[in-house]
Amino acid sequence: MNSEIRQELYKLNHRHLPWLVIIPLVILMIIIGLAMGRTYSNLLVMTCYDSSTIIWLLLVIVGSTIFSMEFQNGTIIPLMYHSSSRLAVFFAKVLVLLMYNVFLHMIAMVITILLNIFPLINDLISWTAIYQYYQPLWLNMLATTGVDLITSSMIISLICLTSCLINSNMTVIALNALIIFMGSGLSSSLQLARVGSRNLIRWNPFNMLNLTNQYYNYAAYHPASLLSNGQLLLGTVMYTVIFVLLGYGCFQHKHF
Amino acid sequence: MLNVQNLNIYYGRKQVIKEATFQIQPGEIVGLIGPNGAGKTTIMKTLLGLTKFTGTITFNHQQITANSHQALQQVGALIENPAVYPFLSGRENLELYSRDTTDMNQLIDRFGMGTYIDEPAKSYSIGMKQKLGIALALLNKPEFVILDEPMNGLDIEATILVRQIIHEYAAQGTAFLISSHVLSELQKVMTSVIILNHHEIVMNVPIDQFKNAPVTQYQIKTVDNEAVAKILKGNDVFYRHQDQSLFINTTDIDQVQAILCHHQIMLRELVPVRQTFEQAIVEVLKEKRVDE
Repeated sequence: MNSEIRQELYKLNHRHLPWLVIIPLVILMIIIGLAMGRTYSNLLVMTCYDSSTIIWLLLVIVGSTIFSMEFQNGTIIPLMYHSSSRLAVFFAKVLVLLMYNVFLHMIAMVITILLNIFPLINDLISWTAIYQYYQPLWLNMLATTGVDLITSSMIISLICLTSCLINSNMTVIALNALIIFMGSGLSSSLQLARVGSRNLIRWNPFNMLNLTNQYYNYAAYHPASLLSNGQLLLGTVMYTVIFVLLGYGCFQHKHF
Repeated sequence: MLNVQNLNIYYGRKQVIKEATFQIQPGEIVGLIGPNGAGKTTIMKTLLGLTKFTGTITFNHQQITANSHQALQQVGALIENPAVYPFLSGRENLELYSRDTTDMNQLIDRFGMGTYIDEPAKSYSIGMKQKLGIALALLNKPEFVILDEPMNGLDIEATILVRQIIHEYAAQGTAFLISSHVLSELQKVMTSVIILNHHEIVMNVPIDQFKNAPVTQYQIKTVDNEAVAKILKGNDVFYRHQDQSLFINTTDIDQVQAILCHHQIMLRELVPVRQTFEQAIVEVLKEKRVDE
């Protein structure tokens, strides 16, 4: 699968979009810092200036084209016959998106560090000060980033599944953006609607989108999610695996 | 080299290829001919492991399946449209799959793409993209190349160049499977032909079989065609007058020459007329329809 991953990285590196999206990421992080920096300095550092939702959206925009561009340009044919199997093609794309996810999170952390080396938009913070979970702030930031990497991996698995089901990348972007912005609310509505046992409904996939938010704001999100951090983590990993396998199943049966 | 046995392909419940069996040897240039919807592209895609099928496909004794493509490392293809990433330059498109930079640069030179190869592929014309698509198929000195309508969008110079390149690669042992609706162009390169109709192979023969087609008529020109026409009519000999020539059935040609000699009318031209390749293909396809 090495050559497939190399090819995917080559394509990602030569496209403008994956690099250009860093600009709105930085701008939006600065805007959030300007709006809340003086009041919630520590929380903003822990959440890398609330960059998780922005990163999810950017992943949707970049990721939705990773499959559709192959179908639109007819490049899926050489990609398939040059590779050892369909499995290698599919998982190379998933892995490269996961790598890109790590890259975006690293950018968010670097910007957070820079914004606190030069505290123009917020107050100077102490990286070693104990904040949440009896941990220093730097560890809070790393842990939140780690947790968000898991949540965003579920978004990636959803992108891969919808991209294999729907050929139009605009529809894939719209659908996944809706899930990102409305998923959490939809989960709460499902639980309030009492369409079934609450114990069962709380394990719906939309609820797992609360993982990152609940990690840094347990008091506010736990009453809505009704799951502990550990349960949300388990559910997120479980749905990531299910969506990836379903996506692979669709890709396996697709006619080219 | 390539061995296809009892190939059956289904789209849902519909059978799109029935019991196709054929072999392709090194250096052979096989033309795949058939009407629209006969299943040419489906066969080509299946050889590339892109479609599920029953039967067996082996390349150099290695099996090809929809899930195993190891045997395809020495295969190149251009299917339907040139598979080009618009955001990459022509060179970058080639680099993506190239295993040998020298071979890649030779292909760029051979196809005359040096002046624009570093520009983004989205700015290329249809012909430029087509040449790049064929170059991609010929990358890494493949042993077997599949070309679906390779002359699409090419100007006359590029068409001649592609034909020469196909001959050069075939001379070095590369086998080709080419489909084209431009039969005259295909006839100039192929060494054998597979005719596909209604989802099955109806003929698989060397091209020489068509080149040695029997004479069906003779075209004659004389010093006075009008007078000859009247004499032939008087002798109950069937003829057809077209383009200042008379067309005579093969069985009547000896009698016609004797008549002309008797009336002392001099011949200016006597040309045997054979069935053209296109006519022969149409006839094969018609015969199959009548059989059904």
